[in-house]
Amino acid sequence: MRFISYLLALLAGTALSFEGAIYAELGKTIGQIETSFYNFFMGSIIMGLLWLFFGKGKISYTIEAPKWSLLGGVLGVVYLTSIVVSVPFVGVGIAMVAVIIGQLVMSMVIEHFGWLGSKKTRINKEKIFAVISMIVALILIN
Amino acid sequence: MGLFMILFTLIGGITLSAQSSINGTFSRKAGTIETTFLTFLTGTMFLTIFILFFGRGNVLALLEAPKWQLSAALLGTMYLLLTVMAVPRIGVIATNIAGIAGQLVVGVIIDHFGWFNSLIIELDVKRAFALVFMIISLYFIYKGNKRSNEKPKHRISK
Repeated sequence: MRFISYLLALLAGTALSFEGAIYAELGKTIGQIETSFYNFFMGSIIMGLLWLFFGKGKISYTIEAPKWSLLGGVLGVVYLTSIVVSVPFVGVGIAMVAVIIGQLVMSMVIEHFGWLGSKKTRINKEKIFAVISMIVALILIN
Repeated sequence: MGLFMILFTLIGGITLSAQSSINGTFSRKAGTIETTFLTFLTGTMFLTIFILFFGRGNVLALLEAPKWQLSAALLGTMYLLLTVMAVPRIGVIATNIAGIAGQLVVGVIIDHFGWFNSLIIELDVKRAFALVFMIISLYFIYKGNKRSNEKPKHRISK
């Protein structure tokens, strides 16, 4: 059963690469920002339906929540647009490695200081080695 | 141009990690589905205004675009659902590492064959070595996270 869960997670990652490659192609015909718009628009519809049928949380918390915690959508727009714009120039492989390095370094910094409501987790030797190996990989893949 | 694009994508990764921290905090009180719904909704609102003022493409061309290109929207949702299914069983770190591994391997495969009309970049010895370094990196992430999670327990027991 655990094995299947690993497989599901692996499959989830492959979905992201396929998404990047396909959106890059769509971006060439309808425009890059338009492609991001399409993604978020369709995502809203799909998640809206899922929320209507399966939502068990409290959407009204949106009104009471601190305003900075509502910025997730805008940040996601930056990510998706950067993928759609860069993949035609550098390919899916490099784009994915660059995204992962950005993610890796930033999440270490965020957790090190406990920013944005995250649990404080110190940077250690292993994590620095991880970033160095990832950067070596980016140089080799380029 | 290539280097500039890589930097741009790095920024994309930075914003993505800020997004997951923010959404993680928000979802503790609002719920997972609600958080994702809100993320997509605010993203749509923002992009609507942005397109009205700066859009140079043609949104209406969506209706004529091949359907397989439109199916990419489902892949993003699939990623989300599969992650939500895996996290309770194997944990956040293992889920992320397995996800990254899948992402990288398929990224390199797509480049190699030039699927979806993308750039063709062959899988040569250099790229194979790059994959090895990524696996080493994932191993260190796993170990590093295990260590920082174990530490507090020791302090309590002492």
